[in-house]
Amino acid sequence: MPISVELPSLGESVVEGTVSRWLVAEGDTVTVDQPLVEVTTDKVDAEIPSPSAGVILSLQAQEGDVVQVGAVLAQIDTEARGSAPPPEKKPEAVASLVGETAAPSPAPEVVKSDLAEPRATPVARRMAEEARLPLERIEGSGSGGRITKQDVLRHAVEAEPSRPPAVMEEQPKASQGSVKNTPAYARYTLQSGDRVVPMSPVRRVIAEHMVYSKHTSPHVGTVAEIDMSAVDQLRRSHKQAFKETHGFSLTYLPFIAHAVVKALREFPALNASVLEDAIVEKRAIHIGLAAETDRGLVVPVVRNADRFSLTGLAAEIEDLVERARSRRLSADDLSGGTFTISNPGRQGNLYGFAIINQPQVGILRVGEIKKRAVVLSSGGQDSIAIRPMMYAALSYDHRAVDGAPANAFLYRVRELLEAAEIEI
Amino acid sequence: MKSESAVTTRENQPLLVDWLGQVDYPESLRLQADAVEACGQPAGRDRLILLEHPPVITLGRGSHKENVLASPDELARRRVEIHEVARGGDVTYHAPGQLVGYLIVDLDRRSERDVHVFLRRVESGLIRALAELDLEAVRVPGKTGVFMKRAVAGPSLDYKIASIGVGVRRWITFHGFALNVTLDLSGFDLIVPCGLDGVQMTSVSRELNSFQEGLGSRARGAVERAMVSEFA
Repeated sequence: MPISVELPSLGESVVEGTVSRWLVAEGDTVTVDQPLVEVTTDKVDAEIPSPSAGVILSLQAQEGDVVQVGAVLAQIDTEARGSAPPPEKKPEAVASLVGETAAPSPAPEVVKSDLAEPRATPVARRMAEEARLPLERIEGSGSGGRITKQDVLRHAVEAEPSRPPAVMEEQPKASQGSVKNTPAYARYTLQSGDRVVPMSPVRRVIAEHMVYSKHTSPHVGTVAEIDMSAVDQLRRSHKQAFKETHGFSLTYLPFIAHAVVKALREFPALNASVLEDAIVEKRAIHIGLAAETDRGLVVPVVRNADRFSLTGLAAEIEDLVERARSRRLSADDLSGGTFTISNPGRQGNLYGFAIINQPQVGILRVGEIKKRAVVLSSGGQDSIAIRPMMYAALSYDHRAVDGAPANAFLYRVRELLEAAEIEI
Repeated sequence: MKSESAVTTRENQPLLVDWLGQVDYPESLRLQADAVEACGQPAGRDRLILLEHPPVITLGRGSHKENVLASPDELARRRVEIHEVARGGDVTYHAPGQLVGYLIVDLDRRSERDVHVFLRRVESGLIRALAELDLEAVRVPGKTGVFMKRAVAGPSLDYKIASIGVGVRRWITFHGFALNVTLDLSGFDLIVPCGLDGVQMTSVSRELNSFQEGLGSRARGAVERAMVSEFA
């Protein structure tokens, strides 16, 4: 007769737990006290043992579900135990067992499962079916090589990287009462046709860092409008020769980095970190450059950026960008930045405020360079001219920096770029 | 066990304490499995196994290798091993200078079948041990572990000095805590960018602002006394 396995009380203040891993699958034969499932609650991982020997009829919660104490985790048919082989038996053995049990007892659900197919959790099986992924081609990482939900997701993403991830429709679960699937705040309910794209680990890291930074630093933004004519002319006049000598194109970014580095030397308050109850102004200037790669956002760092000439800076940036694209950045390349420049560039990007890359106190985000009509004043005469203009938006941490020095720094960056008195 | 070291056991205490010196991570897993098995026997005893690990990154069930930032070459250069562990939770880092304590405690025998009460007891023990070292550590509601509070331009920040992670099998606990004593905190940068989880790491030596001779053994003594009295 079927019995229910409930989530036992793990302590007075423990009201729920998260199903972290199933150790058995539907159709498995279990012995008394055999661990069935691991449940995590606040840094504790508890194995829930089987109260009885038998055959697992059904798993009532999925990995990742939050389950209330007392909720049913699984159903076990205790009468199937007589002919039960040890749980280590291979799927073929289970098949024969199912054949035997099917006759005496009113055929339980296990009979109909396709035992020739690879073993998979019910969720994984359903997702694979819906995404039309053959289970045979998915490598299982669960116990005994069982295919889990994660395996299906991974396969879906990896198998065909050129194509968007397979459509995964997770039907909103029928409210079960026992299984709490909704946090306290309102949560989106999936609609038919929605595409669920699981966050990659890199995406999660980015998400967490962004939340942390916004939470830690009171961000203030300020924008400068910069006339890039001088830089533009300088760049054009050296473009050809530079490419021939160095083998790569001279972009605007080294000019911007060069000006930022120089301004940081003059305004150390922006090249700083908040450390406990102090502000640490750093001697070294390591410039992080936010770059979008196929793996997601990375911020490689030009170390001691103040020691480079413009050409040297350009070469360093070129090297980092190249290694970021070919995924050859080391941990050292990504750590230790003291100020960041974000250049999302391209079209339609007037300006916007970036989130500070902790534990720094400032980040400069530049917009696209675009020709605009501007008013020039010279010798008391105003005139309208067409100039390549760029907006540069500085986000700074108001714990460490006030408005006046932040604006002075940004104004200095502008001055340096507009003068463009740089040797190439 | 790699290193030969004095093993201290006191038979009259309900909590047996062993100091094993530096132990490889896989070896410590076997030790724990054996200890859990032995603890479950009728004459079983609760134990605290104190040790240090060589530099090692451990990945729990929920974590992904991508959370390890350092490249395999980098890890090899720093001689950091990676192990995937049958436990919940995220990526963690252990290294010499961090006192690791594995608590094998039968909660059923103590009639204290409450994992939260157990976590709070471990925290209490660590707070008491740190008090002996003149450090005022605290709990942070909603976060497991032991923290140091520091005012940072107004709001205070929590610096984590000890991490706690526990497994329970038939009401017998395993895994336990890791107290940062003198270890080089930059090792934590190998796994997640600084401050990613909203918690910065600190250590006993950093909090005392000194690297005193014999700090490791003083901390060990304090932890041993505090845990023995907590689990008396």
